[in-house]
Amino acid sequence: MNYDYIIVGAGIGGLSAGLNLAFNNKKVLILEKNSLPGGVVTTFKRGRFEFDVALYDLLNYGNDKHIGSLKRLFKKFDLQIDTLPINYNIRINSIDEKYDDVIKGEIDDWVLKLEELHSGSMAAFRGMLPILKEIHEGLKALKKGRTDIEKNFPNLIKYLDVSTVDALKDLGIPFDTINILGHCWVDIGSPLNKLNFIDFAEYMYKFIFKRPVALYEKNISLVLKLAKRYQELGGKIYYRACVKEINDVDNKKEIVLTDGTKYYTKEVICNLSERFAYKNLISTSNLNAYQKENARTLSMNGVVVYLGLNKSYQDLKLYNYRYYKFQTLNSKNNIKYMSNLNHHTWQAIVPNIVNNDASPKNTTILILKTLYTKDAWNEVNKFNYYEMKEKIANNLIEEFEETFGIDIKEYIEEMEIATPITFSKYVNSINGSLFGPMRLGYDNSINRLLSYDEEKMPSISFVGGASIFGNGVDNAFYSGYFVTEKLLEEERRDYNG
Amino acid sequence: MDKIDKMKKEREDIIKSYSKKRIDDTYIDKQVSNIFNIYHTIVVDIKEETSDVKTFTLESIKDSSTPHLVPFKAGQYITIYLNINDMLVTRAYSLSSAPSLANKDIYKITIKRVENGLVSNYMLDEIKVGDKIDISRPAGDFGYNPIIDEENVIAVAGGSGITPFMSLAYAILDGIYNCNLTVFYSVRKYEDIIFKKEIEEINKKKKNVKFIITLTREEKDGYLNGHISKEMIEPYIKEFNTVLMCGPKELYRSMNEILNEFNIPRKAVRYENFFVEYMPDNKKNYKLKVVIKDNVIETTCRNDETLLVAMEKAFIKVPTLCRVGECGFCRSILLDGKVKMIGASLKKAETENDYIHPCVSFPDSDVVLRLDI
Repeated sequence: MNYDYIIVGAGIGGLSAGLNLAFNNKKVLILEKNSLPGGVVTTFKRGRFEFDVALYDLLNYGNDKHIGSLKRLFKKFDLQIDTLPINYNIRINSIDEKYDDVIKGEIDDWVLKLEELHSGSMAAFRGMLPILKEIHEGLKALKKGRTDIEKNFPNLIKYLDVSTVDALKDLGIPFDTINILGHCWVDIGSPLNKLNFIDFAEYMYKFIFKRPVALYEKNISLVLKLAKRYQELGGKIYYRACVKEINDVDNKKEIVLTDGTKYYTKEVICNLSERFAYKNLISTSNLNAYQKENARTLSMNGVVVYLGLNKSYQDLKLYNYRYYKFQTLNSKNNIKYMSNLNHHTWQAIVPNIVNNDASPKNTTILILKTLYTKDAWNEVNKFNYYEMKEKIANNLIEEFEETFGIDIKEYIEEMEIATPITFSKYVNSINGSLFGPMRLGYDNSINRLLSYDEEKMPSISFVGGASIFGNGVDNAFYSGYFVTEKLLEEERRDYNG
Repeated sequence: MDKIDKMKKEREDIIKSYSKKRIDDTYIDKQVSNIFNIYHTIVVDIKEETSDVKTFTLESIKDSSTPHLVPFKAGQYITIYLNINDMLVTRAYSLSSAPSLANKDIYKITIKRVENGLVSNYMLDEIKVGDKIDISRPAGDFGYNPIIDEENVIAVAGGSGITPFMSLAYAILDGIYNCNLTVFYSVRKYEDIIFKKEIEEINKKKKNVKFIITLTREEKDGYLNGHISKEMIEPYIKEFNTVLMCGPKELYRSMNEILNEFNIPRKAVRYENFFVEYMPDNKKNYKLKVVIKDNVIETTCRNDETLLVAMEKAFIKVPTLCRVGECGFCRSILLDGKVKMIGASLKKAETENDYIHPCVSFPDSDVVLRLDI
């Protein structure tokens, strides 16, 4: 069978690409190896609990007052979802700095908190806000290929090749304040000395100006909606269709499934990391692609412990939406600890704080997550895998109890532990990496964006959380849109010229 | 735009300085991280436990694509894939062997003959040492959880429900878990006792694992008599307990009444889902259409058999694992018709989007199903 486009993987990026292509009346087929769409944006059930795997804070969606670009895209595709506001309420604790504080509420509350921490922070922070806006607008112009960047967005150009730490220093923000502001590096997957300021500014922009929202429904409900809409627009999707090869045959791409079925297309869009695709699927050797992957550093993988507790969060005294625990607030130093399985940096989330219906009445869901870099897994083998997994989970639970003085263990009714093995099995992320290739130095998403046209391989594109814009549902969705817009533009150019 | 060009050039130079070798960087131990859907094994031993129960020892086939088996947790099951009269059928069995044997690429399953049971009869009558059997990876979350479970563990087994507890007993004796296990094992008669010799040996050790056998249809010296009762269990109940149960539904019902008297909280009691039982009032035969990608297969389904069984009889290769509605492997979309689902663990959005689990679905009308395979 011939298709205009074939998409491998029905994750957020694949669904988004499919939606935009089907919306433009293209003949599209999505091939998904699992029996449900979504990739890590999914749920699983244990007893009376239904756990969301990955998506808690939806960024860049916003609300009626502050419409995010994700919401605009959803509107374009006639997609409606119910969201809930997240009243920010996070607790940060760090061992080395003996820091323990709660950051609550809106931006003004944040600013006061930062000022309390270090006098002078407030003015610097306020001074940064228009720059975040300018960078955001400039980036939008850059994505559209506009040529007035240098003239109209001087701060974008100024910080284009500057690390987050250096840029924030340049903006007069004291170092200890930078570390509090930048605690989110564990959600982005890159330490602040390696993360480009444009990438960070875009994250902060979305955070500050388009407040994150939570989904009212479970993760799986969102992706089923996307898949349904894609099918209504004429797109086709096959589940349990596992791709084993992508071949070049007669100027076309031949997609072979594990059962031997073959499909043909002029362009294949992979909702997979480039690393996985070139390593396992693409048969024609591509030295440029191998070089690009060999140059990259894979970002952290992690262990996530999902707990169903048999008491309400009020009874348990779990009053914060998110908890962060660091060995040190300095991300550059902290990431070094992550090469050891027994480090002390982790985070927790209590979805019930923003969504009453996150679990049955008088129960609470608590999710603990910790990250590891490559060397951490050296000592794990088939003889000690379960033991290590249980030990890590137990340490996380006990450290949480100890750090925040909250009893958890005796209330656990259901629990599941997801390891890098779990993630690599379900979504083919290499070594279970949660962020794909690390955004660092030359390979931040701004760099990937600037070199996109030059690096684009013929007849093959990549979308999703491990691609151009990095992890996060908003980035993954936008990658699908961005990449397909490029392809459609190319089509129009070919047609006209 | 000088800066942009400079950044692009820098990026290009960095990439160009790297090797052109093919990427190979799975740094997590491959025997842990390479999980396959199917493992190829060979039957290396068959032990007759009773007149209608056999234990099959399966070892990975060294020169196959899966030379090693993955580790498992005591209490997990595997699914075996068989081709019986050109019909691809599957069944899930709890692993009865020590988890440490998996390190030597060995799993054991223990199978009891079921009256008219297609698979159990085939396994007991046809399978010989040297036969090859394809199996799934270990799955399921039944078993002991050292993080949340109590140190005093009461296990309750009925008939062939003893199998996961044999594995758990070995796990404890091997020092994997630090807890006290008392297994109450209820069988009809002395001759029905599975693992008799192994149980005697374990009891002789007088360590932290103890089996207490009760015969329900026979009196015999050295054995308790009758169904498991409050009085039998009482001496073994401590302040905090974890109760694990595996057996027929009647056992769970009577045990729950007993456990209520001991005030054991809900979260401390766990069951293994074993059987799917449904007896419709009137037996009927319905039409079943299965849409697979762009094809339609037409067959029939009795209202006392599951849609999964009907599809297997029609030679459709349905993906399955647990066969009790939990794992979602056979998940399909009900395009038309009505079904009765017994104990399916459905996500909220699955219910809202007409998903069903055919392994526990009985037809209540003619049915049209979509199953992508």
